[in-house]
Amino acid sequence: MNARIKLSILLAGVGLLLAFLPFNASKTFRLSPGELLKINYQDHLFTVDEVARFMNSEDSAVQLIDLRSNAEFMECNIPGSINIPLDDLLNPDWEGYLNQGEKRNIFYGNGDETAAEAWTITTGLGYKNIFVMKGGMNEWYKTVMLSKFEGDRITPRENALFENRYRARRTFTEINSLPDNLKRQYLEAKRLEESQLDGGCE
Amino acid sequence: MKRKNYMNPYLAGVLLGLVLLSAMFFSGRGLGASGGIKYAVVAAVEAVDQQHAMESSYYSKYFENGENPLKSWLALEVLGMFLGGFLSGALSGRLKFTVEHSPKISKNKRLLFAFLGGVFFVYGAQLARGCTSGAALSGMAVLSVAGFVTMVGIFGSAYLFAWFFRKLWI
Amino acid sequence: MAPISVLNEIPEWLNLAIAFLIGIGFGFALEQAGFSSSRKLAGMFYGYDTTVLKVFFTAAIVALIGSQLLSYFGLLNLNLVYVNPYYVNAALIGSVIMGAGFIMGGFCPGTGISALSIGKLDALIFLIGGLTGAFLFAESYPTIQTLASTNYRGPVRMDEWMGVSPGMFSFLLILAAILLFWLAEKAEKKFPRPDITSEI
Repeated sequence: MNARIKLSILLAGVGLLLAFLPFNASKTFRLSPGELLKINYQDHLFTVDEVARFMNSEDSAVQLIDLRSNAEFMECNIPGSINIPLDDLLNPDWEGYLNQGEKRNIFYGNGDETAAEAWTITTGLGYKNIFVMKGGMNEWYKTVMLSKFEGDRITPRENALFENRYRARRTFTEINSLPDNLKRQYLEAKRLEESQLDGGCE
Repeated sequence: MKRKNYMNPYLAGVLLGLVLLSAMFFSGRGLGASGGIKYAVVAAVEAVDQQHAMESSYYSKYFENGENPLKSWLALEVLGMFLGGFLSGALSGRLKFTVEHSPKISKNKRLLFAFLGGVFFVYGAQLARGCTSGAALSGMAVLSVAGFVTMVGIFGSAYLFAWFFRKLWI
Repeated sequence: MAPISVLNEIPEWLNLAIAFLIGIGFGFALEQAGFSSSRKLAGMFYGYDTTVLKVFFTAAIVALIGSQLLSYFGLLNLNLVYVNPYYVNAALIGSVIMGAGFIMGGFCPGTGISALSIGKLDALIFLIGGLTGAFLFAESYPTIQTLASTNYRGPVRMDEWMGVSPGMFSFLLILAAILLFWLAEKAEKKFPRPDITSEI
């Protein structure tokens, strides 16, 4: 067999391999430490009340991301979130969600630390639109789920606040008390819905 | 020494590909040649008429921040090319001062068209921001559209013009 | 992790030494392939010698495959490797002018340098013409500037433009190259010029 044929077979084989390789341009930090330091973390926080409002209005400009383990996620999560356990953060499957400029990604964990860590890494990688829900699930429980209005009079502002929380409370309880398989269906449906919306109105 | 045969083209291609890959790996860029010619001209113009060089927007940008175009990656690479070609020629018994031309034309005619070819080629390379090595070869290896367009353009138009200049070669 | 010089602070002399070594490899490979002969290079356009096609495509594909695989294994960050930007008008017009120069002169700058290094005087004249061409460009720059800079599309890649994965595009390119290699060998059989091939 002459050189051309040998080479052609070799190249065709490698080419076939490449054609089905997932494209994974290796991740490096795009920002230097100095640049990262300049970005103000405080400007990238949302309160649990704001997140509750996003959830209630089913705001599609926002993506909630639960950084806890899959088990904790299935037990209960903020409806509308997707689950990216912190260890899995750099999996290329998630790059489409994280590395884009359209939706705002809001990380949350049980407290503040996990979300802050994920924020630092993704912002350092150059991803835009990364935010954190301040206080995490702990704060969500304390404020949205458990807080009650106490007092005689309620101002319109407080009224709006508590109404928001009660609505969120209801949705949260409903969705999270679904049996596992129905919950999975709900989450799948949400994900499909979002991926279909992607095509739409540019 | 007796002249050795040229290397098998596919093998030479693999070798060249590995050189290009190492440029990408070590220096994050592809190969180049016409850029080296440009730097030579820029350096010469600055040496001969510094004022003109500094006044021109084209030349002056090569001297910003006290940089010297002759102390650049490309310039050293081009220098290396002379040595590499020489070594290959020496090892293969191909060193010889000669004007290579088709027996159907005179030596002078060959030299005239070599000169004109050089003028056109490098002028075009400056415009297209690369030649066959820099834009086409390295561009294809990084999948750049500019690389493919340039390659198709160079080879396509050379084929179109080939009939008009056939007397030079065949 | 590579590219080495981009991701590490290496001293300037080392950067230049690497360039020099790579240049040696480049010149060596070009001359070994026979690109130090203008009549061999011109043969591509008349059918009697298709070495240019074989070397060119093989080299581009080897580097392409190599870099894709290195990237997959996390050894090379392709985002940090230079992708030449696309200026539509300049690329089209410039490449046509280059094609004319190639068929007239029988060289391109890289092959001209490797030819000069073994003593080809026509390459010397080609390169002198090249220096002239570069000088003409530099002097005519104010006039030609707009042409050179219009229609800027950025460092767009073929896989992005076509909407396929880089691996898939590489595969398609390989298939195209295999076809071209086969056609090239057929052409050499169809348009032989033993009088030339025996001399170059």
